[in-house]
Amino acid sequence: MKQSRNVIVGGIAAVAVIASLGLAGCSTTAGVEATGKTTWDEQGARSLEKNVVFNNSGLKGDIQIVDVKSVQAGDIMRAQATLRSKDRETLPFQYRFDWYDGGGLEINSGAGSWKPLILYGRESKTIQSVAPDPRAKEFKLKIREPD
Amino acid sequence: MKIEMKVLFTAAVIGAFSLSGCASTMQYGDAGSAKPLSTEFGSSDLQQIAETMVDSMITFPPMVEMTTSRRPVVSVDKVKNKTMQHIDTESVTDSIRTKLIRSGKFRFIDRTTDAQTVEELKTQHDSGLVDKKTAVDFGQQIGAEFLLTSNFSEIRQKAGSTTDVYYKFTMSLKNLKTGILEWSDEKEIRKVFKRGTFGG
Repeated sequence: MKQSRNVIVGGIAAVAVIASLGLAGCSTTAGVEATGKTTWDEQGARSLEKNVVFNNSGLKGDIQIVDVKSVQAGDIMRAQATLRSKDRETLPFQYRFDWYDGGGLEINSGAGSWKPLILYGRESKTIQSVAPDPRAKEFKLKIREPD
Repeated sequence: MKIEMKVLFTAAVIGAFSLSGCASTMQYGDAGSAKPLSTEFGSSDLQQIAETMVDSMITFPPMVEMTTSRRPVVSVDKVKNKTMQHIDTESVTDSIRTKLIRSGKFRFIDRTTDAQTVEELKTQHDSGLVDKKTAVDFGQQIGAEFLLTSNFSEIRQKAGSTTDVYYKFTMSLKNLKTGILEWSDEKEIRKVFKRGTFGG
């Protein structure tokens, strides 16, 4: 009797393990979003409004956005984010920058692509992007775990 | 004993169901996905190369200076493909050219459609269908000031169950008058495949 109970417990554990493996293979990941918006004060000085949102608590434990900044190269906006790994292990991520014009409309909507990023344990790294054209005044950085 | 069998059977069935959630599906994928499927040259590699080249070129200080007042005319050369793979390199340069045009900084000459251009102009002049006042004359096109050249190479290493492929794409902008390379940059990509103990 005791033996068969062990088997039942073992069976349930096996189901749980197999099910979790099966689900993990199909899981999608929400990620981190950081936005930067160019604004001008009354004196005409340029500044960047920043905002970082974590949609994934697992990712929040792995990665930190240390800094977000932006400069102009001529009339083209450039963005840079500094990331730091909170983990001891080497972690793979994907990131992309989406660009928006002064009215908040996305430029070349949907045309961006994800880029791979590898962060070694406790490493900090900068990632950069350049706006597709001079209309861009705002960007959104998205980071997620590899799909 | 019977209970044990039942439990194991149930476990197997539920396990199979949870796995079947991932079997044989057909759906649209993300065109910008960065998921590598093999060490072969893939769509994400193309996108990374195109984006890196364009970002570098339009933010290079002498280029920024040159393109503030005018939009230079550029011609694109064929990529020298030194990899072991058959790659549609024109697709890579097409992506780069499209992004550069959309940046509003450069204008391009497309030599691949010259035959059609000549045919169209001939029709305009010789068919008698087109008003001579509106017909486009021969010899009016603008010559390119720059030539965009590129090299693509790979280094492939294999040791045991690991395949390591390193790609390097180098691009330069040559001033056709002076012969000087006004800009150059390269993008490196490394892809590593480790064969698992099970399966191919």
